[in-house]
Amino acid sequence: MRSGIGLPKRTQGVLKALGLRKRMKTVFYPVTPEVAGQIMKVKELVAVREVEKALSKEELKEERRPDAGYYLESAAPR
Amino acid sequence: MFGAFKPTNALSGGLLWKIPWRLSKFQKQRQRRRLRAVDTVVSVIDQALAKKGITTKAVERWKDEMPIEQEMLPKDKYTIFDRKEKKYRKGIHKLPKWTRLSQRLNPPGY
Repeated sequence: MRSGIGLPKRTQGVLKALGLRKRMKTVFYPVTPEVAGQIMKVKELVAVREVEKALSKEELKEERRPDAGYYLESAAPR
Repeated sequence: MFGAFKPTNALSGGLLWKIPWRLSKFQKQRQRRRLRAVDTVVSVIDQALAKKGITTKAVERWKDEMPIEQEMLPKDKYTIFDRKEKKYRKGIHKLPKWTRLSQRLNPPGY
């Protein structure tokens, strides 16, 4: 979520190793001690969530889509 | 003398930054939110690992040593220890990169 600019090279390296090259990037990893340790290194910069399976690009985009603010009613038959 | 070019300290002296000595209530609110965000990251990792029955040193150590946001004293949330400062405390916003660092503990007694 947050950028590693200006932080120690090691912290930036951990971000890079996790595949977080840009802000707001989402990556998926299995629950392992190694990944947990990496996330702990950059815990101030990321948001973490546990999901059943890795979401596809389309699903992620759908998740980000804001509420349309309206809904379509079906036209009544005349 | 007047108007847009009046000789203020910042204009005449060149480099003059004015950093307030304490945080505003909005900065404090954001600081609390950041602290809680870090707490949620740690708890999510901990729960995910606990489901698999794994423990990790980094997580365990953090849980042992660091207080969560609700347990922290306001003094520790918004100020840090500094030996050069009067009364040994200064605002946490004087710490470089303070919004992206975890600075929760201070020397006991100060």
